[in-house]
Amino acid sequence: MPVAEQIIRAVLGAFFGTVGFAMLVHTPKRAWFVSGLIASLSYLLYWLLTWLGLPDPMAIFIGSLFGSLAGLLSARQMKIIGTVFLMSAVVPVVPGLGLYRMMAALGQGQLATGAKTGIQAMITVAMIALGLGAGAFADRIIWSRKPHRET
Amino acid sequence: MENASDASCMDALQLAGKIIMENGGETYRAEETINRMGRGFGLEQVDSFAVPSGLFISYKNEDGEPVTSVRRVRRETRNLTRVDEVNQVSRLAASGKLDCRQALARLREIECHPGSFAGMWCLPAAFLCAAGFALLFGADLLSIAAAGVVALLVQLMETFMARFRSRGMAASILGGLLTTMLPLLLSRVLPALQTELIVAGAVMPLVPGLAMTTAVQDTMRGDMVSGISHGVQAVLTACLIAGGALLAVEIMHFIPGGAV
Repeated sequence: MPVAEQIIRAVLGAFFGTVGFAMLVHTPKRAWFVSGLIASLSYLLYWLLTWLGLPDPMAIFIGSLFGSLAGLLSARQMKIIGTVFLMSAVVPVVPGLGLYRMMAALGQGQLATGAKTGIQAMITVAMIALGLGAGAFADRIIWSRKPHRET
Repeated sequence: MENASDASCMDALQLAGKIIMENGGETYRAEETINRMGRGFGLEQVDSFAVPSGLFISYKNEDGEPVTSVRRVRRETRNLTRVDEVNQVSRLAASGKLDCRQALARLREIECHPGSFAGMWCLPAAFLCAAGFALLFGADLLSIAAAGVVALLVQLMETFMARFRSRGMAASILGGLLTTMLPLLLSRVLPALQTELIVAGAVMPLVPGLAMTTAVQDTMRGDMVSGISHGVQAVLTACLIAGGALLAVEIMHFIPGGAV
């Protein structure tokens, strides 16, 4: 697949997929566009880093960290709860495909392949959590030095 | 201090915490909101303790006697618009722009708020979510449409089950089962479909993204009980979806047309 097509798919897919997800959990309407935008940028960063050869877990961590910081900043600016944007930032990298591949392999009796795919999915989830956590931590350090505004 | 003697203060604090926790908000947010609103109402020594299944609130009344209440909380739905609106009410209450009764009236309206949209609009939302992620994963146009339709059908099933208050575990297993089985059956009729990518896209509306985010947020605030509770909920939901998918793969072995 050409690189340009991959980028277009990453940006549009993450945007519309995340907006759909945000609608499903009834996030405020005024947050939809920004949620999609943050998801697009986070996923694009993740894609770019893997394309440049960075290991997948590291790219996921950096993508989630960026999403977390961008989400918390947007939450402050728009006076919307931070959860709305944090959730949106990480949804595109949640390993849905990994989950299916694991189950398909286990269902076919390929235990080693299933276990390997499962562990990869778990590492992805751990990296997402780590990225979110690191972002929230950095945000608190940054904002503890500035006038406090609740998210 | 006129507000402090008003019984509706406790009702307002309870309702604010209950709405936040029943609609997918974090426990730390419920505690902070209650404390902030209580101080805004002019109450003294307001304190709250929230765990995923309940709320404890106390403050001192005009006579200096402690007033305490306990409220059972059951997670019912995911509606972040309600959580956000309670947040707005708490800002106004904290700045003294709303008294207890006004806040309580606003919170009762929020409790019945349908969210960002009402009724069957969740169906196109599920379609958009699944189709978007199928595009992201590299599916072709036909498979993108198929992922959207599968997610729409699964959402329809969830909406139907919700009417009988049967969400949660059963919905996750059934969701995983249908999300995998429908594309596998479709691919028997249309072999050109990219089954794997359809499943990956269609499963996305089911993933516990909100529970995972809440778990991280609560843990980062040092609320380990709630963090672990939400984390376990996220892992359990993922396992149930995966279990449903595995069940579908196993069932497909018994349906003529070959293995998966």
